[in-house]
Amino acid sequence: MNSLERQRKLFILSFLAIPVFLLVCFVVFPAIDLFRMSFTNWDGLSPTSDFIKLDNYIAMFHNPDLWQSLKNNGVYFFVHLCMIPVELAFAVLLNSKLRAAKFYKTMVFLPYIINGVAISYAFSYFFSPVNGAFDSILETIRLGMLSGHGWLSDEKIINFTLAFVSLWRFSGYHIILFMAALQSVNQDIMEAARIDGANSWQLFRYVQTPSIALMVDFVLFDNIRGAMQVFDIPFVMTQGGPGYASSTFTLYTIKTAFTFSNFGLASTMAVAIMMIIILIYIVQNKIIHGFILTEGK
Amino acid sequence: MRTLQKPSPRAVLTQALKQIICIGMVIIVILPILLTVFAAFKTRGDMVNTSPLALPPQPTLENFKEVLTDKYLLIGLKNTALILVISLFFNILLGTITAYIIERFDFRFKNAVVALFFIGMLVPTFVTEIARFKIINGLGLYRTIGAPILIYVASDLMQLYIYRQFLSNLSTSLDESALLDGCSYFQLFTKIIFPLLAPATATVAIIKSITIINDMYIPYLYMPGNKQKTLTTFLMDYSNAQQGSWQTLAAGIVIIMLPTIIIYVFFQKYILAGVAAGAVKE
Repeated sequence: MNSLERQRKLFILSFLAIPVFLLVCFVVFPAIDLFRMSFTNWDGLSPTSDFIKLDNYIAMFHNPDLWQSLKNNGVYFFVHLCMIPVELAFAVLLNSKLRAAKFYKTMVFLPYIINGVAISYAFSYFFSPVNGAFDSILETIRLGMLSGHGWLSDEKIINFTLAFVSLWRFSGYHIILFMAALQSVNQDIMEAARIDGANSWQLFRYVQTPSIALMVDFVLFDNIRGAMQVFDIPFVMTQGGPGYASSTFTLYTIKTAFTFSNFGLASTMAVAIMMIIILIYIVQNKIIHGFILTEGK
Repeated sequence: MRTLQKPSPRAVLTQALKQIICIGMVIIVILPILLTVFAAFKTRGDMVNTSPLALPPQPTLENFKEVLTDKYLLIGLKNTALILVISLFFNILLGTITAYIIERFDFRFKNAVVALFFIGMLVPTFVTEIARFKIINGLGLYRTIGAPILIYVASDLMQLYIYRQFLSNLSTSLDESALLDGCSYFQLFTKIIFPLLAPATATVAIIKSITIINDMYIPYLYMPGNKQKTLTTFLMDYSNAQQGSWQTLAAGIVIIMLPTIIIYVFFQKYILAGVAAGAVKE
C-alpha cells in the first residue's frame, strides 16, 4: 500500500467517523429502540420494564381516540392534495410573462419562513370567537350569516380551520418547488415544440408535465409525510381539543409518552407512523416511477 | 422586435387577470400578519371598541414596551443565538466533509454509509424523541442547550443534499492537480474544496438559521426551565401569561416573527435556490 493510499483511507475513516457515529447514536439507534420499547410497558422513569408481547399493538388498534386522530390527519392530507393542482397552476402563472413576478414570488414563499408558533397564535387571534377578524371579514363581504361558528371550537369545522392554516404555511413551499421544476425544463425543446406549432396546453401536457412529474412525486410524498406528522399547528392552537376533536396521530403519540408517561404504547404508535411513511414511500416509488418509465417510452 | 410591438388587447386582458389573481394571493398571505400588527399597536380599549380590521385609532407603543422589557425575552434571544451559532458551526463542518467524502471517494461500505444517511431522512421527526429523550437524559444534557445542539447537528441532514449537489457540479480536475502538487487530502479539503463550497454554505447557513430559530418542539421538550427559553418557547410562555390580552400577545408575535422575516428579505435568493436544491435530490 503506498502512502497516498494509506493517507486516503485514514482521511476517509477519521472524517466520516464522527457524522456516522452521531447519526447512528441519535437517529438510527432511537428508531430501532422504538421497536424494542413497543413491546414493553416502560413508563419513562423506572429502571426496568416488562416485556408484554403484542399488548401495546392490540391496545393501539382498539383506541378510538387514536383513530379519531388519524382521521384528522386525513383532513390535512386531503386538503393539501386538493391544492396540488392549484399550486401547480400558480407555479405556471408565476413563471409566465407576469409583471412584478419577483415580488409575487417573494410573497408566496413568505409564510413558509415565518415562525410557526407565532403564526399559530396570529391565526388564533384571526379566528377568535370574540370580535374575531375572520368573522368581521365575513360580515364585511355580506356573508355574516356564516360567522360566529367557533372556528376553533366546533368539532365539525376545527380540523378544516387548522388545515387551512397548514395550507397557508406550506403551499408556497410547494409552489416554489414546482417553479424550480418548470424552470429546469429544457428551453430548446420548448422552443422546438413551439415552432412545430404546439399550443400552451400541449406544451404543458407533453413537454412540461413529464419533466415535473418527479417534483409532483416529491410534493406528494412530502404531503403524506407532512400530514402524518402534523403537530405544531394543533399543538399550539388547540392542544388537540376540544377532547380529541383536533388531535393528530403525532400529537396523540407525544401526549401518550410525555403527558401520560406510557412510553411503551407511544413507541408502538411511533413505529406505526414510521411503517406507514416507509410503506407509502415504497408504494409511491413503484407506482410513480413505473408511470414515468411507461410515459417516457 | 416583439417587445416594441404594441401589446394586443388580449394580452392586456390576460395580464390584468393574472394581476388580479396574484393580488388576491398577496392579500391572503398578508392579512393574518397585518391584522396582528394592527392589534399590536392598539390599546386595550381599542381592542374592544374597534373592528379587528380597523387601523389603530391612536397607535401606541405600550404593548411593544411591555414585551421588550420582559427579562426572559433577552434570555430567549441569548439561548437562541448560542444554539444557532454552535449548531451551524458543526453542521457546516461535518456537512461539507461528509458530502465531500461521499461525492469524491470510493471506499468499502460507501453504499452502506449513503443508505444510512438516507434512512436518517426517513425517520419521523417528532416521535423519535420518545426514544431519544432517554439517551439525551443519560448524557446529562436534559435542561441544557447541549440537547438541541446535539440533536440539530446529528439529525438534520438537509445540508448533505445541498453540498452533494453543489459538489457534483464542481470539476474534479482541481482536486487532481492539487494532489499532484503534493497537497494532502486534508489540505485539499481546507484550502480548495471548502472555499469553493462557500455559496452552498451561505445557503445552508441561512436555511438552517430559519429552521433553528423557528423550531418549537426540541427546546420545548428539552429546555422547560425559565432560564432555558428560546425565542420561540418564550412566546409560548408569554402567551400563557397573557390570557385574553391579545394586544400584548400580538406585540410578542410581531417581535418573534421579525428575525426570520429580516433574514428572508436580505437573503431571499439563497433561500429559494437552496429549498429547491434540497428537494431535487438526484
